[in-house]
Amino acid sequence: MRLNYLLKCLQLTAKSLLRNRIILVLLLVIPATFFMVTSYTTTNMPILFRLASIAEKTVVSIPQREMALIFISLTVTGLLSSFVSLVLIQNQTTEHRRLILCGYKAFEIILSKFILLLLIILFISVYISMIIQFFFNPQHILSVTLGFLLIGFVYGSYGMLIGTILKGELEGVLFIVLLANLDVSWLQNPIFYTAAPHKMFIRSLPSYFPSQVSLVSAFSEESTAHSVWGSIVYGLIFLTIAFVIYAWRMRIVRSR
Amino acid sequence: MKFLEVNHVSKSFRSTKVLEDVSFSVNNGCIVAITGENGVGKSTLLNMIIGLIKPDRGSIEIVDNFGFCPQDILLFPQLTVNENIDYFRTAYGEKFFESKKQQQRPDELLKEFNFFAYKDKKVNILSGGTKQKLNLVISLLHNPDLMILDEPYASLDWETYLKFWEYAAERKKEGKSVLIVSHFIYDQSMIDTLYSIKNHQLVCV
Repeated sequence: MRLNYLLKCLQLTAKSLLRNRIILVLLLVIPATFFMVTSYTTTNMPILFRLASIAEKTVVSIPQREMALIFISLTVTGLLSSFVSLVLIQNQTTEHRRLILCGYKAFEIILSKFILLLLIILFISVYISMIIQFFFNPQHILSVTLGFLLIGFVYGSYGMLIGTILKGELEGVLFIVLLANLDVSWLQNPIFYTAAPHKMFIRSLPSYFPSQVSLVSAFSEESTAHSVWGSIVYGLIFLTIAFVIYAWRMRIVRSR
Repeated sequence: MKFLEVNHVSKSFRSTKVLEDVSFSVNNGCIVAITGENGVGKSTLLNMIIGLIKPDRGSIEIVDNFGFCPQDILLFPQLTVNENIDYFRTAYGEKFFESKKQQQRPDELLKEFNFFAYKDKKVNILSGGTKQKLNLVISLLHNPDLMILDEPYASLDWETYLKFWEYAAERKKEGKSVLIVSHFIYDQSMIDTLYSIKNHQLVCV
């Protein structure tokens, strides 16, 4: 891997993305819209639920709005990260192939895209953590932000995987929305989880660990180390498969 | 000196035979063209030469510094002309841009193809003709020994095409070579060797 190749690709991919105003608007407007809708449609009435990763019998009582805000933050971070990731991978594949023909390595290109994705996830997580504090103060805001970063990592890696497997944007978006809708938007919702049967299945889904990092940090003093590692492993599995498929699809068969 | 050598190459896609025992070479200082009707295997041969697909049998040897101008415009539309050049210049590697003369080459090419004034403009606002010029200039940045053009009649406008021939004639004098792959060859007087693909084989015309 050559650092100057990596940095040039990172710099120019970032420029290309930042000049796409629709993506910038989406990154700023979607979280704010989700927060407004959540705030408008929830109350401060306490609700009872279980935090899945700590003792199963521990039931916590939290205002509905606070729980919903954390939960919706996870949903929006996961969705945006996977969408941006899909755009980064699927856009201009043939142009990147030309770069590879000219001397780039596929690994340098996908790694630079991943680094850019991490920077965008960092931006989204910090932005969302700042907005959330206008509504309430989670117990451990840094750990809550870490949970947002981790769900961005897991779902961003999932978006990369989908982008490397599928050529069509529409199919890619459909796969992302499908998983995000089932997993982070529904099954990880603590209210649903509390009464759900087959909890092991829910715990095996990609957003389980990062959701627990944010939810447990926001509403308890419990440790989230196990969930942090679980998130990293889950994201790395997606990422490794994505890197391998990308390198295989973009390979050049002549010897250089 | 051979810039490209294709030895007994064959390629099939499942049960469909596309090319059978194709051999030819491109020496220094010559212009070679490969023609044939649509669907005879020109793109397959070209893709094997540049390394996008692997032959079933046979071997292909090509110089490191070849330039490939694709039929489609493969540029980054949100970046400027200069940024696109910078991107591909990095891809080719610094070894091609060490001397002062080599460093000035991108600007010289922009001037030669008459679009230096657009160097700070984003590609997505350029006219189709200017994008084609940039598509061609990108493949010439590193002063390749062998220039490969895919369907230049379809991909280049007339002005750029004539300019290219002017450029190619100069390069030929310096010992550089050109390989054109096209369904139609307009000006055969410029071509040193013309091949045609017929019945899965390459025939010298």
